[in-house]
Amino acid sequence: MVQFDDIIHQPLRLKIMAALNALPKGKGLEFSHLKKLTGATDGNLGAHIETLSKANYVAVTKTFVGKKPQTTVAATTTGRGAFGKHVASLRQIIEGES
Amino acid sequence: MIDSRQASSALAEIEEIGARVRQSLFYRRTSAMLILWGALTFVGYLISFWMPAQSRYAWIVVMVLGLCGSVAIGIVTARRQGVNNFSHRILAAFLIFIAFGLIWSVGLGQLGARQLGTFWTSYFMLPYILLGLWLGWAFVAIGAAVMTLTFIGYFYSGDWFALWMAFVNGIGLIIGGLWMRRN
Repeated sequence: MVQFDDIIHQPLRLKIMAALNALPKGKGLEFSHLKKLTGATDGNLGAHIETLSKANYVAVTKTFVGKKPQTTVAATTTGRGAFGKHVASLRQIIEGES
Repeated sequence: MIDSRQASSALAEIEEIGARVRQSLFYRRTSAMLILWGALTFVGYLISFWMPAQSRYAWIVVMVLGLCGSVAIGIVTARRQGVNNFSHRILAAFLIFIAFGLIWSVGLGQLGARQLGTFWTSYFMLPYILLGLWLGWAFVAIGAAVMTLTFIGYFYSGDWFALWMAFVNGIGLIIGGLWMRRN
């Protein structure tokens, strides 16, 4: 049975989840780093992180480095699980049609 | 629902961004080491230029600080990034690399100060270029640029060789490290 995840499948959200899943468990990426990796604008990236956060797929942490605010995004255990299932479903689609 | 072509494209995208993240983390880890070695060799060559009699001791200090600093940076950044990439094979490879360089430069080669500076710089840049073919083009670019400028300095810088090397090797590595950090 293919478990296709519509939240993750949106192109930018797929990039965000792919980037965060490439990190070791519990580690996150700074917003600016994620922006550079995905090639998204501030507003667009922020909106999609919000969607992922509402689904409990990512956790957002805001800290201060000196006087500079820093936002870090990390995949949650739920998000990693959902991403793994989504990748498996993509593979199933390919195998099913081949 | 999507078809297999779209699914393949999504998987390729996932693979590509994962590789970019891993490369970017690797660049961050190694850029600090490049900056450290750049600063140390800059000071080492300045001492060679202004106080040639002290240069032998200066380079021993540079090597010890560089090695200890690299290990410290490796441990701290690996812990921060949550990766454990220490390998006894890498350490052994590095020691063999240094031993081979010493055998030829000091043992068999009997090189002078100018040849030693050229040899060690170009020798260190060679693995940058070779490993860069797998690790990222930044290494190839930095290695090739520093090596080429080193050879130019060897033939054309005259009495200014040590000063030339301070900027080519020292500042070159610092700029390379900062550039990698930005990318």
